[in-house]
Amino acid sequence: MMYAYITRRLLMLIPVLFGVSIFIFVMMRVVPGDVAMTILGTDATPESLAQLRKEFGLNLPLHQQYLNWMGGVLSGDFGESMRSGQAVLPDILSRFTITFELTLLSALISWIIAIPMGIIAAIRHNTKTDFSVRMVSLLGVSVPNFAMATVLILVLALFFSYSPPVGYIGFFEDPLRNLQILILPSLVLGTGMAGAVMRMTRSSVLEILRQDFIRTIRAKGARERVIIFDHALRNAMIPILTIIGMQVGTLLGGAVIIEQIFSLPGLGQLVLTAITQRDFTVVQGSVLFIAFVFVMINLLVDVLYSYLDPRINYK
Amino acid sequence: MKKFWVLVLLSCIAIFTVACSGKDTKTEGEAGEKKPNAEQTLKIANDQEPAGLDPHKTPAASSVRIYSQVYEGLLTFDKDMKIVGQLAEKWEQPDDLTYVFNLVKGVKFHNGREMTAEDVKYSFERILDEKTASHIKSYFANIDSVEAVDPTTVKFTLAKPDATFLANLTHSSAVVVAKEVVEEKGDLQQTAVGTGPFKFEKWVPDNSVTLTKNPDYYIKDTPKLDKVVYYTMKEESARLSAIRTGEIDFTTVSAKSAELLGKSKDLTIKPYQSLEYSYVGFNVNNKPLNDEKVRQALSLATDRQSIADIVWNGDAVISGPVAPSMSDWAIDVTKEEFYQKDQDKAKTLLAEAGYPDGFEIVITTASTYPDMVDTAQLLQQQWKEIGVKATIKQIEWGDYIDTWSNKKADILIGRNGSGTDPDRALNYFFHSTGSANVWNFADKNFDSIVEKGKQTIDTGERKQLYTQAQKELLNLSPNLFLVSPMNFVAVRNNVEGFTPYPHNAQNIIGVSIK
Amino acid sequence: MKEFFVKLSHDKVGIMGFTGIFLVVIIGLFSPWIAPYSPEKMFTSHVMEGPSSQFLFGTDEFGRDILSRIILGTQVSLKVGLISVGIGASMGLLFGLISGYFQGKVDSIIMRVMDVLFAFPDILLALAIVAVLGPSLSNTMIAIGIVFTPVFTRTVRAAVISVKESEYITSAVAIGVSPVKIIMKHITPNILAPFIVQISLALSGAILTEAALSFLGLGIQPPNPSWGGMLDASRTYMEFAPWTILFPAAAIVFTIFCFNLFGDSLRDILDPKMRKS
Repeated sequence: MMYAYITRRLLMLIPVLFGVSIFIFVMMRVVPGDVAMTILGTDATPESLAQLRKEFGLNLPLHQQYLNWMGGVLSGDFGESMRSGQAVLPDILSRFTITFELTLLSALISWIIAIPMGIIAAIRHNTKTDFSVRMVSLLGVSVPNFAMATVLILVLALFFSYSPPVGYIGFFEDPLRNLQILILPSLVLGTGMAGAVMRMTRSSVLEILRQDFIRTIRAKGARERVIIFDHALRNAMIPILTIIGMQVGTLLGGAVIIEQIFSLPGLGQLVLTAITQRDFTVVQGSVLFIAFVFVMINLLVDVLYSYLDPRINYK
Repeated sequence: MKKFWVLVLLSCIAIFTVACSGKDTKTEGEAGEKKPNAEQTLKIANDQEPAGLDPHKTPAASSVRIYSQVYEGLLTFDKDMKIVGQLAEKWEQPDDLTYVFNLVKGVKFHNGREMTAEDVKYSFERILDEKTASHIKSYFANIDSVEAVDPTTVKFTLAKPDATFLANLTHSSAVVVAKEVVEEKGDLQQTAVGTGPFKFEKWVPDNSVTLTKNPDYYIKDTPKLDKVVYYTMKEESARLSAIRTGEIDFTTVSAKSAELLGKSKDLTIKPYQSLEYSYVGFNVNNKPLNDEKVRQALSLATDRQSIADIVWNGDAVISGPVAPSMSDWAIDVTKEEFYQKDQDKAKTLLAEAGYPDGFEIVITTASTYPDMVDTAQLLQQQWKEIGVKATIKQIEWGDYIDTWSNKKADILIGRNGSGTDPDRALNYFFHSTGSANVWNFADKNFDSIVEKGKQTIDTGERKQLYTQAQKELLNLSPNLFLVSPMNFVAVRNNVEGFTPYPHNAQNIIGVSIK
Repeated sequence: MKEFFVKLSHDKVGIMGFTGIFLVVIIGLFSPWIAPYSPEKMFTSHVMEGPSSQFLFGTDEFGRDILSRIILGTQVSLKVGLISVGIGASMGLLFGLISGYFQGKVDSIIMRVMDVLFAFPDILLALAIVAVLGPSLSNTMIAIGIVFTPVFTRTVRAAVISVKESEYITSAVAIGVSPVKIIMKHITPNILAPFIVQISLALSGAILTEAALSFLGLGIQPPNPSWGGMLDASRTYMEFAPWTILFPAAAIVFTIFCFNLFGDSLRDILDPKMRKS
């Protein structure tokens, strides 16, 4: 049953990823400017532009360009960056580990903040505690994260003469340094995420607490703590998981701005730079990769969802 | 439920402990640096990621500053902008069309092989090869042949006399590369093997490029540094914070930040006059800009000093088509007729051109560079005074380059580098057939002056021609030349022996760490 | 409807949000009359001055009055929020209704297209669309609108499907009422609750997205005052002219905060599962 569902969902991914590939390919051809121009800048001559375009295959008819690219992608070859000559897929993968770690850390921070707060707000529904929890967490979502990030960097440097270490280092090379580099960006992203997670936690716990079976348990004289942790929270986890899954998916797509501010060589930075430089192979490859990760995460969330909630029936 | 609050509190504390533990390790690091035998590593933060490392194919400044430490050319500029030898020990010019260079002996590539005249020949043939699509091919279009006379002598024969030839050889891309490396790797984008003071070690994309000392460098006891690491940090605020706390030793900063950092006792700000100037480009085919009176009126309505004051914090000098840092060639523009702000005269000129009530126009600018956006906003206000109603259109870089090269805009704000020779600033940018003349500007008189300038070897005579050319440009105003900014490098006080100059802003060959 | 307002008046969070939004809207509507100066006027002898009696919030790098720019910026931000969410919501409503009502092939096609859009990271999609269309106020709004379309489509579709299975719709279909009539009369009113909640939340998202686009250099064209643009431009001056970032940041945070408060409260009130108590 479950396998059939997963298989069906996996099959459905094919048209979506195909659509993404066409969409991004067309977008990049429609945007004014191409990679030959951005490489040569004011030094361009008509001959050198033509030569570079020929080298990158940009002189071929569009469908041919697409087929060449897709053919490569399907055989696992994402091509090379037109600008730097770097192989695209290994670059994407190495950057993905960074974005992945950043995502995990920020998600973790947001849970630490949001889930307890959400539960408290639900239990103390319509009290001062509920009120202040909601206010604080909603305030967190309301600050544009680039503003928060720049202020954070300045304040730490000016008043605590602290700045995060420069030069990204992988977790397995130097865990402590790696965490020092990632903690600030994760904090900024985490506080932004916390609001939504808190809201979802609060409303689903509230919903569960009002359901008949909780009333029954309560009537039977169970202790409040047991009610909350054994019954309410477990059931409330389902919608919470959904929102977390969605947010993780979004974050994995690259915390574009935060990566740039904190000089993290993640996926978001890669795509952003590639877009302004019109580095077609890199943009197309990484967008396709991001879309793939995103739909896989969504699938995972749905599967988890059905696993946690046996009432849902997938046909 | 109190437990949850405790949990929240604890996690906050944990986070801050991690954050602050960084500070502790830092202080230890600083103590270490004060020892007499300090680690000779220079940490530089740059605002852009290198675009690739092939010197013959990559004009981006972010790449140049790195490959310039690895590769060398025949000639270079010293700090007074005088041509001096680099790989060429001496050179002579038997006739107008022939140049003979004697190479420094005993120079080795980083792979251990001796560099010979054959390598010079190969490098220039690579630049001239159409397939390379080199951005400096046009500089050397006059080369007829390159000949390796013997291992240390190389002879260039030109097709016609070219007064810019020696200056062009100083170009940071006109460097000598090793044939076997090109053949092995296809191109040089991902690797670098040159003869320069530093060897390429590794490049971690969007993170850092590491260079190490070339122990076999042919100049004794040079370089002093063991290692140079270039970090890519796009955000100025991140670079400021990192240099303040000593995470990095060296970075370029904006004028405003330079003023701030100048107050710090741990840092020194090194200013230098750049080779760039900002401009307003007019598409002279489009109405109403096809009338030179309209362009002159806009020039008269422009307050260049307030652009220098507001956009560049006062750290910029008013410039003509040749930046003032090329002091041998640049004319003093401040006395020029159209550089005097005069709104009445501007209005009269507009009326004479048939626009007594002004007109509407779009100013296109690049969002990537705040200075260009700010310049556009100032011009909009200044031109409003003479009735010209401008709208600003800011576009991102790829779009901007497309607009520039396909002449899509009426008015475009930009910045140009004057290059190594006035021929670049005048001929290449404004000759009716110049590749970078994207303004549809065509003036026979101007064309003949700059053509003559390129072939006149006598410096005095050349200077006269280029003065004439510059005046002609100011008069016809196909572009309004605005200001040439100062650039600023912030260095920690433990960095010794660094002096930037226009042609080599990251001149770190003599730098050491105290 | 009455019940709704009664409930709202009992929720402090909702009242605060509503009052804040009301205030912002008033400022936005009357901004040209409230602002002390023209937002584009450069007082060249008062560049980067701190708050004073002449310039309550100080001046920016061109000597423009920050207070006036913030007040006029209210209009821009509200416009961006309302119109882009309007675009996203109406497209979402249309596609969601069609998709949910007819299901089958139409549904799969629409939903796959939405999946494609949804699989793009928001900011990159907006960036790509603005880059293709060319930057301008209206294109920014279109881009943000497209980015929001999939979310609205999904919300509406899910609601339609759940309503459609209810008995009275099944019986309406059985007696041969036309689909258009069923959608208009029976389905639309029933899906309004989740739809409205989504709108109130998307409004704050739209303003934040505009700010993010400004950071990436593709926001509203200068010298038009937009909060995001002011925030971005002032980041460089933050240290010696903190007022240039402080006040625009306060304006943007306040507005988004109010939208979020209101949205959160709406969600509580309109959520059918919550109605039991």
